[in-house]
Amino acid sequence: MSLRPLRQRLLPYAYVAPALIVTGLFSFVSMGISFYTSFHNFDAFAGESGYVGLANYQRALFEPDSYFWLALRHTVVYVVLSVAGVLLSALPLALLCLRARYGQAIFRTLYFLPSITPGVVLALVFYHIFGVWGQLLDSSSTALPALALLGVWAGAGYNMVIFLAGLTEIPRHLYDAAEIDGAGRLQQFRHITLPMLRNTLVFVTVMTVIGSFQVFTSVYIMTSGGPERSTEVIAYTIFINAFTVAGQMGYASALAWLLFGVIFAFVIVQMKIFRSRKVYDE
Amino acid sequence: MSSRFSRLSVTALVVMVLGAVVVVYPYAYMVGSSIKTRKEFAEDKISLVPARYQISQRLLHARGEPSALDWPGSDWSVVRNYVDAIRYGEVDRYLANSFIYAVIITSLQLFFNVLAAYAFARMEFRGRDLLFTLLLCTMMIPPAVLLIPNFLVIRELGLVDSVSGVLLPSLAGAFGIFLLRQAFLNIPTELEHAARIDGCGSWGILFNVILPLSKPALITLGLFTFMGAWNMFEWPLVVLSNQDYYPLTVGLSLFRSETSADWPRIFAASVMGAAPLIFLFLLAQRYLVGGISLSGMKT
Repeated sequence: MSLRPLRQRLLPYAYVAPALIVTGLFSFVSMGISFYTSFHNFDAFAGESGYVGLANYQRALFEPDSYFWLALRHTVVYVVLSVAGVLLSALPLALLCLRARYGQAIFRTLYFLPSITPGVVLALVFYHIFGVWGQLLDSSSTALPALALLGVWAGAGYNMVIFLAGLTEIPRHLYDAAEIDGAGRLQQFRHITLPMLRNTLVFVTVMTVIGSFQVFTSVYIMTSGGPERSTEVIAYTIFINAFTVAGQMGYASALAWLLFGVIFAFVIVQMKIFRSRKVYDE
Repeated sequence: MSSRFSRLSVTALVVMVLGAVVVVYPYAYMVGSSIKTRKEFAEDKISLVPARYQISQRLLHARGEPSALDWPGSDWSVVRNYVDAIRYGEVDRYLANSFIYAVIITSLQLFFNVLAAYAFARMEFRGRDLLFTLLLCTMMIPPAVLLIPNFLVIRELGLVDSVSGVLLPSLAGAFGIFLLRQAFLNIPTELEHAARIDGCGSWGILFNVILPLSKPALITLGLFTFMGAWNMFEWPLVVLSNQDYYPLTVGLSLFRSETSADWPRIFAASVMGAAPLIFLFLLAQRYLVGGISLSGMKT
């Protein structure tokens, strides 16, 4: 093995190098820089200006002028609404799509359109549609749910396709056996479909949680965080602090790390919850 | 039993059709508003069809009665806002930028991902499994968290406000390498042995044996990458300040922030921004849908 010529031994590294340099640079290296930055005063264009210890984190977590908790609360509300909305729309749609005798392919195509349309375009269109439907974006009590509604509308079709794939994997004979045992449709759904779909459910839930924790485009285009900061979510707070207020890069980095921690905690809790459920073994 | 089945399938069909209406409505709204005059959109944000094209108005007009066709601006041509968006909003340049970004990102990302995936799938080298695990770890970092740090890296490299700054972070990706590696692993090694006996090196094997057999995975990844690149918004928004480099998404957000936003024209630009992807999707649907099912199976 080690007697191979040097060129032969180095070849694999040459193959993986470009990809690893790019992915490594824009994940580990940049996270390292961000970690460093979060302990400093830092201006996006002027550069670093002094070590400040935990001050950025302290400011985010404890100071009364910090919008971290407010933004986190809004983000969590948005995530919960989105996940509930996506699960309650995508799964029923997938079940119905399989039952519809005609047009399955057409439905699949149409329902998929939102996920291939630029988010900016969707936000611009819904900005007016929500206006037509009674000024949803003008009131601080309806703006955030309206944004979540857009998220659900845009994500339902994509996740329906994932559910369809999961549903077609379920062996037919399980339903046949249940039918012979006299199980009704609801019982079949409860005792066959749901448990067999477990992996897909976990996947859709986790991906929706991660995705909606980072919601930015619709907020930026439609509300700019308003009215009265009612739609200020974390990704937006980070963006505003890092790129529009001078000298806040370190503070924004601290916010980004806090967001990372929150997402990570959520995903782990979710995994734990899903893991603990018993499923049928073959 | 059969009557129950058909009732269920009829209900399903009805619900799916209603759902389709809900999905299509915003597109109809966008297209309809994009052919209104500015004045008409200001007065009527609801109707999907501009008054001058509504059948009732046409009938009134045919009977010689006063109708929307007598309003000023009723000769506003269907393509007028589109032409104006290109002429005054430079949407053609934004579209060209988006296209160039998407093409470069897609081709280079495919190339680099293929090389890495091939090495991870078929070559023996020290540290391979560790590197692959680290690579997979990068998929767990949410992009929103990477926004600032990636900007700082680009800034260190002196690439702020440049095309390379927009492109660089997307030139390779863990998901793509993972997807291609899976595809490569499914190809029987006997084929490669045969090629090796015929005198093929690893480069020749990759291009003559592996790639032709992995076409579906390559097309799927290519489509995903192209769509991601076409739709990217936050990253170019942060990196670029020179409008000449803006992709369409950022250009659209710029129109929106103008105080006297010309909405019908913005909708025309939106239609032009959404249409290429929808067209691409209709052409290559089966690869995309297959790819999504694949990503769903990943867990």
